[in-house]
Amino acid sequence: MSVAASERIRISPLARRLAKQAGLTLEALAGSGPHGRIVKRDIEAAIEGGAKPSPSESAAPTHREVAVASPPAALADDKILALYDKGSYELLPHDKMRRVIAERLTLAKQTIPHFYLSMDCRIDELMRARERMNAASPADGPRAYKLSVNDFIIKAMALALQEVPAANATWTEAGMLRHKYSDVGVAVAIDGGLFTPVIRHAEVKSLSEISNEMRDLADRARKRRLAPHEYQGGTTSISNLGMYGIKTFDAVINPPHATILAVGAAERRPVVSGDALVPATVMSVTLSCDHRVVDGAIGAALLGAFRAFVEDPVRMLV
Amino acid sequence: MSSGDYDVIVIGAGPGGYVAAIRAAQLGLRTAVIERAHLGGICLNWGCIPTKALLRSAEIAHLVAEGESFGIHAGKARIDIEAVVARSRSVARELNTGVGFLLKKNGVDVIWGSAKLLGSGEIEVSAAARSSRPDPEPSKDALGPGRYKAKHIIVATGARPRVLPGLEPDGDRIWTYFEAMLPPSLPKSLLIAGSGAIGIEFASFYHALGVEVTVVELLDQILPAEDAEIAALARKLFEKDGIRILTGAKVSEVKRGKGGITASVVDASGKSEQIAAERLISAVGVVGNIDGLGLESVGVKTERGLIVADGLARTNVAGIYAIGDVAGAPMLAHKAEHEGVICVEAIKGLDVHGLDKLRVPGCTYSRPQIASVGLTEQRAKAEGRDIRVGRFPFRANGKALALGERDGMVKTIFDAGTGELIGAHMIGAEVTELIQGFVIAMQLEATEEDLMRTVFPHPTLSEMMGESTLAAYGKALHIPPAAPPAGKVRT
Repeated sequence: MSVAASERIRISPLARRLAKQAGLTLEALAGSGPHGRIVKRDIEAAIEGGAKPSPSESAAPTHREVAVASPPAALADDKILALYDKGSYELLPHDKMRRVIAERLTLAKQTIPHFYLSMDCRIDELMRARERMNAASPADGPRAYKLSVNDFIIKAMALALQEVPAANATWTEAGMLRHKYSDVGVAVAIDGGLFTPVIRHAEVKSLSEISNEMRDLADRARKRRLAPHEYQGGTTSISNLGMYGIKTFDAVINPPHATILAVGAAERRPVVSGDALVPATVMSVTLSCDHRVVDGAIGAALLGAFRAFVEDPVRMLV
Repeated sequence: MSSGDYDVIVIGAGPGGYVAAIRAAQLGLRTAVIERAHLGGICLNWGCIPTKALLRSAEIAHLVAEGESFGIHAGKARIDIEAVVARSRSVARELNTGVGFLLKKNGVDVIWGSAKLLGSGEIEVSAAARSSRPDPEPSKDALGPGRYKAKHIIVATGARPRVLPGLEPDGDRIWTYFEAMLPPSLPKSLLIAGSGAIGIEFASFYHALGVEVTVVELLDQILPAEDAEIAALARKLFEKDGIRILTGAKVSEVKRGKGGITASVVDASGKSEQIAAERLISAVGVVGNIDGLGLESVGVKTERGLIVADGLARTNVAGIYAIGDVAGAPMLAHKAEHEGVICVEAIKGLDVHGLDKLRVPGCTYSRPQIASVGLTEQRAKAEGRDIRVGRFPFRANGKALALGERDGMVKTIFDAGTGELIGAHMIGAEVTELIQGFVIAMQLEATEEDLMRTVFPHPTLSEMMGESTLAAYGKALHIPPAAPPAGKVRT
């Protein structure tokens, strides 16, 4: 029960009602009341800040409706419980974030025809460039930065989408939404779930800007202090499990995006260069594509453009 | 100065100032408070507290007079005004000593004198002129005149009675609240100019002790800050009790005679009436104490006699703050206290927000009492809000009848769209003790549903708070429906 208690969203009754009326989800509203409680002024600020009704809330007013409407029905709780001895498990109630994750990803897997493309990227140049850039950062102050490999990946993905605009799109029944900007969501694991805050217009931002913005967003995501407009929307996303030693994996697309890039660990591997085996730093990435939007060749072009940027990072400066 | 500079110096040890000082000390800031007359300020020495002590005597006089209706025959009460006043002074003195003790135990230095800002965090303190009032002596530990320096200076100098031309207090025939609190004897008749909380409380006090009281108010309603419906009911009850009330009227000229005053009171139509009374209390509001502080010389912005400060009490000059009456309405001790705490916590770098003034309650301790928080019905309508209003009368509450207090009302105002409680207005016995329930509800952002589900103990006056909420939604249980139900289900 302690898990459930710590994940309870602290919110005033009035704020809860105002959020519902405005169609806002509560998970990442910044609470400014005592103990981070979400209060009226936070909802007003979120609405003023341009928070849009969350897709899940506007499309499906209640969780129950979604569950009922989603064919095929999942195995009923009592049938599942019957498979296990009483006392052999502990039942932890879902918090709202867990329910939203379950819904969104079920929706994604049921409605988006996924396919997957993988590639290895040699990133020795990137690692060297990163080292030199970080060495040049001021020690502190507003202009200080510490670039991570992921910052380069965000930038490279943003630029690749500009090179292959057909992949920077969203399926709607009315037509294809062709996005002008590269708004890159980055999955951030937090206690009890995850958020995908969005770096907007990442194609025009410098690496240090991306890096500092990402650090701030990730930090506030962990504290559940993001405003809805900071994690809603976006045109693609990146999920990086490299720090856990994962070599490759396939990610589930985060609607309404058409792609998501699953990034594995950068590791020293033997690579055939000419006829010789040479050691190199290699990172495997897998692009999940929504086939309604991105066909195989377009997905391959996007991934190729991405690889060209990360393998020769100087090109990102152009 | 030798003992080093302060982090915080508060000018004025009223309820805003001494609380700010204690909070600053709690937060580990080196703190001093400068006071020129009395620890605890007007509130504790010449305002809130001593008047409550006086009104308690009035309440007892009232109960004795009403004793027969309760089956208690005590005979006719004899009022010993000297003893009434002495008790009021002893209550104030006890609290004054208490403030000195609290400041000392929290390690706050008390500097005795009048303060003047010199700029760059420096303050010149000079010996204060002794007032003619019987204020307590400064404590022996207090520091004296000299120059003091602080990183942060909080101006908490409060307010004083407004003086209108022709109504200049003379300490004899024309009183301010100071003299009205120390009557040497009970006048036969009393004219009170102004019907705010101060005017109404003195009207209630003196009337209960047998004085013939007339209240003159310039505006169209008494208690101008209150909800019009509540103010109208208050007026009706005061008048039923025998207080004479003139609204839309002005005390234009006062002649001082041997046995008292004669005032020309002009009503809105220009008709003039001569009203003779033994004394006159001028209770026409208060003005901020901004003079002689050197505010102009250091460039602190003032507007209409008050210091301009933001939600965190910051003035336009870095390092100078203003809280309480001197920083503007509502001029209430509890508002000053909270501003003081917020100010100091912001100085310390804590995550704080400005005070929501719509959640500051106001109380008038007359008989009947009046208490309110939030928007009046008139203001909510003027703001174009779609509202639901609930009313519940005292006469339908069991405890009120048992107490013999059947006059009064609890009125609640909700936003129709969101169910937010945006105003609560009460009149009747003990409502000043009840209002906090609605204040907590507002602070926790309760909706009508939360209030409806709150279990109020039976039998208490507080049950009316739940019923008034129900009434706003047509669901009150102990008053008949406004319109015949006609089979309509009220969910």
